[in-house]
Amino acid sequence: MTLSGALLTRIAVLVVVVVFFQIGVVSEVPVFGVAIDLSPLVVAFVGLLCGSTIGAATGFAVGLLVDLALVQTLGLTSLVFTLVGYWCGRLRELRDPQAAVTPLLVGAGATAAALVGYSLMEFMLGVDAPVSLELLRQIVLGVLVNTIVAVPMWILVRRCLIGSLPHDPRRRRRRAYTTGGLSPLSKA
Amino acid sequence: MYDKTVRRRRAVLALLVVLSLILLTAYFGESSDGGLHSVQRGFLTVVSPIQEGANKALKPVRDLFGWFGDTLHAKSQLAEVRKQKDKLLKEVIAERADQHGYHELLALDHLDQLSLNNYRPVTATVVFKSPNLWYSTVVIDKGTSSGVQKNDPVVNEEGLVGKVAQAVPDGAVVDLITDSEVGVSARINGTNATGVLQPKVGEPNNLVLQYLPGGTAANRGENVVTSGTVESPDDSLYPPGIPIGQVTSEDEETGFKSVNVHPLADLHNLNVVQVLTYTQNSKPAQLTSLQGSLPSAGQSSAAGGEGNQLTSASTGLGG
Repeated sequence: MTLSGALLTRIAVLVVVVVFFQIGVVSEVPVFGVAIDLSPLVVAFVGLLCGSTIGAATGFAVGLLVDLALVQTLGLTSLVFTLVGYWCGRLRELRDPQAAVTPLLVGAGATAAALVGYSLMEFMLGVDAPVSLELLRQIVLGVLVNTIVAVPMWILVRRCLIGSLPHDPRRRRRRAYTTGGLSPLSKA
Repeated sequence: MYDKTVRRRRAVLALLVVLSLILLTAYFGESSDGGLHSVQRGFLTVVSPIQEGANKALKPVRDLFGWFGDTLHAKSQLAEVRKQKDKLLKEVIAERADQHGYHELLALDHLDQLSLNNYRPVTATVVFKSPNLWYSTVVIDKGTSSGVQKNDPVVNEEGLVGKVAQAVPDGAVVDLITDSEVGVSARINGTNATGVLQPKVGEPNNLVLQYLPGGTAANRGENVVTSGTVESPDDSLYPPGIPIGQVTSEDEETGFKSVNVHPLADLHNLNVVQVLTYTQNSKPAQLTSLQGSLPSAGQSSAAGGEGNQLTSASTGLGG
């Protein structure tokens, strides 16, 4: 997918607003003892809508912004989110999933990948913490609460970007089936 | 055409991954005064005022979300708090008389120079909070322009919160007491035994008070407070007597005792905190200056051999 100026602007605004809303408001409201993390969701959904290249670039930008704003180890979140964005983009390019539960599954998968990836990186960088039940509990709860907010987040991201996307696979498919001649059923 | 697209896609991915790894390596390789750290501080300086405004504007939204959780949490704790209130009321009445005499004695012997009266509290609002399990840090909206300096203790109405890790003119990063970088010299209230309080490994929301002498009495529910001493010259000199947490259980180790401590401050819901700053010629400033001139932990270890941690913990700068 080509990156138009309008799409770039929309993604940039979306990323900045979501990251600052996340660290300024959402992080302060724990649900089941963990904070909702909108950052992996926005990366995953941009990847799912725009493809792997834009997904990876968005992941890098979101990670960099988070690391800069929170004075964390620079490059760590970028690395994890780049891979998350890329994989979500590849999912769209290879499978183009249209099921209603896709945002839920992608949201849960992206959050799990981000949390586990981040934990692995921290272990490799020498943080003094073993794989404990508490850590696993936090990861599972983190995935759970992010799954709950995945659908509204998907609607928000899709609504923000839909006007600038070159083509919408869902619309294209619906149109194809209503023309009569292109449906695979008609060949039977 | 397809090959070109694939090549471009892979090139972008490789470029971004390599860029991340370069950032990561460079960040680890440089000191806290290095270029990338400066960029981070610069970003914080630029963003802090904006975020402060946004934080105030979005406070009603945050309060609305927080109200539901707080109400449920408060209801579950009501009965227990009522019991504690009755118990504490009796204790306060009994201790008030002792307190008067104690302060008179401290003043007579000039031992009250590190009390909270010698600090100048700066009230700050938490503007950023890491959603990450691995970082126990928050960013506040007051910095060096308000007198906040690196290593200043940070408290809230419940107890010790952490210390200032980095400060810029309009903001500062606070390492919470649950951060693995933070160690606090602390004692069980009512005893003289001093230990080092650190996050419990694998349970970042709990603390463990280590290296207490073997026979130290530690009952469940007893308060743990700052001791007014430092573990190493790089530590913050917390004023003595700041409540940190309550004992939940104890572990007897070879020669030493460790007790598990639950923090009093609700570190997940920090909104307003106070940074304990001090003026140039105050007693805390003099002691901090003295602390900075002491040999580092590594040097002490080389010179003094084993038991360095305990020795430095008990050298005690406080009165």
